[in-house]
Amino acid sequence: MNFLTLAAKNLLRRQGRTALTVAGVAIAVAVLFSLLSFNSGYEKQLNNELNSLGIHILAVPKGCPYEAASLIIHGGTIPKYLSEADIAEVNKIADIEIASPMLLHQFYKDGKPHIVYGIQMNETNRLKPWWKVEGRFFSDDETNVMVIGRELAEKEKLEIGDVLSFGPDGVPFTIVGILKRTNTPDDEVYFVPLKSAQELFQKPMQITAIAIKVKDISRVFDVASKLEEIPDIQAVTTSQIIGTIMNIVGSVRTLLISVIIVAIAVSAVGIINTLLMSVNERTGEFGMMKAIGASEADIAKLVILETLSISVAGGMLGLLVATAGSSLIEGFVKNIIPYAPAGNLLSFQPAFFGLCFLLSITIGLICSIYPALKSSYMTPLEAIRSNVNE
Amino acid sequence: MNSELITATKLTKVYRRGSEQVFALKDVSFTVSQGEFLAIMGPSGSGKTTLLNLLGCLDKPTWGSLKLSGIEISDLEEKKLVKLRRDHIGFVFQQFFLLPTLTVKENIELPLLFSKRKENEKAIKEIIDIIGLTNRASHLPHQLSGGEMQRVAIGRALASGPTILLADEPTGNLDSVTAETIYQLFLRLNQQGLTIIVVTHNPELANIAHRIIRLKDGKIIDDGVIVGR
Repeated sequence: MNFLTLAAKNLLRRQGRTALTVAGVAIAVAVLFSLLSFNSGYEKQLNNELNSLGIHILAVPKGCPYEAASLIIHGGTIPKYLSEADIAEVNKIADIEIASPMLLHQFYKDGKPHIVYGIQMNETNRLKPWWKVEGRFFSDDETNVMVIGRELAEKEKLEIGDVLSFGPDGVPFTIVGILKRTNTPDDEVYFVPLKSAQELFQKPMQITAIAIKVKDISRVFDVASKLEEIPDIQAVTTSQIIGTIMNIVGSVRTLLISVIIVAIAVSAVGIINTLLMSVNERTGEFGMMKAIGASEADIAKLVILETLSISVAGGMLGLLVATAGSSLIEGFVKNIIPYAPAGNLLSFQPAFFGLCFLLSITIGLICSIYPALKSSYMTPLEAIRSNVNE
Repeated sequence: MNSELITATKLTKVYRRGSEQVFALKDVSFTVSQGEFLAIMGPSGSGKTTLLNLLGCLDKPTWGSLKLSGIEISDLEEKKLVKLRRDHIGFVFQQFFLLPTLTVKENIELPLLFSKRKENEKAIKEIIDIIGLTNRASHLPHQLSGGEMQRVAIGRALASGPTILLADEPTGNLDSVTAETIYQLFLRLNQQGLTIIVVTHNPELANIAHRIIRLKDGKIIDDGVIVGR
């Protein structure tokens, strides 16, 4: 027999209590691990997503704030429009490589929002050369055809050749292509020719935004300021969008950190409470142990080992739960944050595993100090008497 | 009789109860030789448990001298007291204090964990045989009777090979038939050369000892060898 076996057997005496304490530690560790993973994954995914748009600047109607620009990227609609005539103005600016107009429309089906993008396929293909399609892309002079995202096709069980009715008059559109998975919001969108979208949604000559790619990325701010000289246009760069979104998400992150601090404090109090109860119940035993030769250090070691066992078990369980339940956690996080990029928001890193595990051990060690001192400094006589007097 | 194992000279223990001083022991002097079987008797509050705790190095005297195997323990630091308890003293309590999740064998081995000595399977088996629990070595305490539990506690006290066995009311929680088996066990251990000091209210247990010290109000009122032992 060794101290670890003795500590483990002691913990098994009150299995329910031990299990609850382990669960308390596990919850705190799982939440912390998820937040760290989210923190790292979110920014990475946001950058990925904006880079995958292939654009450097989004020209939006004036008075349209950055938040609205974020919405456009993610597929929301805003009640203001640019004129198609603005495209000609935009194209006059040197250093612009591609200017691709788009009209966005959102409609609800079975209570869920669906996004329709009216685009010029030629320009979009230049903007997103990585797009691959099953079937074919449409050409800009076609009508009543569409290409849809892979995720959307799977969710709605749509196939090439299917015909869908859109708009108040139920205009039929045939699916001519399904995009190969891009892991971006494009996977969940209906793409139709710009002209068709303008007719369908009764927005003749109107567009929601112009996606712009510059020839030289270092000139992006010059181009943006030139764009803003056009009366209708406000230019928003992707880095501004990222900054805005990260600011919004920052408040959510602060909230989550507060929750974690509370969770950790609660689990620490839980551990101390469990240990104190356990130590108080066993004062007579500790007295006996001292009488048969245990030193103060032996008793402290036993209490510390019991705490460490709880915190190590809790830490491992927490990491396991956070890893195994990442899709649930991700779903929850996506629901509460204002802008959730597509793809994996949680990025698990070995350093986070190590950090969380270390934290659970540190909590265990800190929590064991008082109970260990209390039990080890008691004289054998006091300990035995306290038990007799019970 | 053999050489002196314990020498107590003017042993005094004072407790504070508020502003009042209470003399649990007052100027108690006696010696115990190796191989003796001593019973300490007296009414409640006479100081017998206090005396046993001093002899077991669980407490220190307020005044006076207490020598164990020639070592003065009244001014020893805690570390050395721990070593003395580990190497020289076996302690048996009225409440047994067995660890409920450890088997009979594991409870007996417990002192070896603290003394960092390697478990000697043969020696432990011998102890289990001596206490008569050969077939119950893997049982847990809740599967044992009161008498069996006290025998495990005695086995635990023997595990580190002590020179003195101290017992505080060892039959206090047992019926008379079970208590008899404990007396017989003490007697056998004493016949094998172990020095035994028992605090008891039980005259039958006291009568199997060589000698009885009677305490009253913290003082020895009688110290007599039982004739014929």
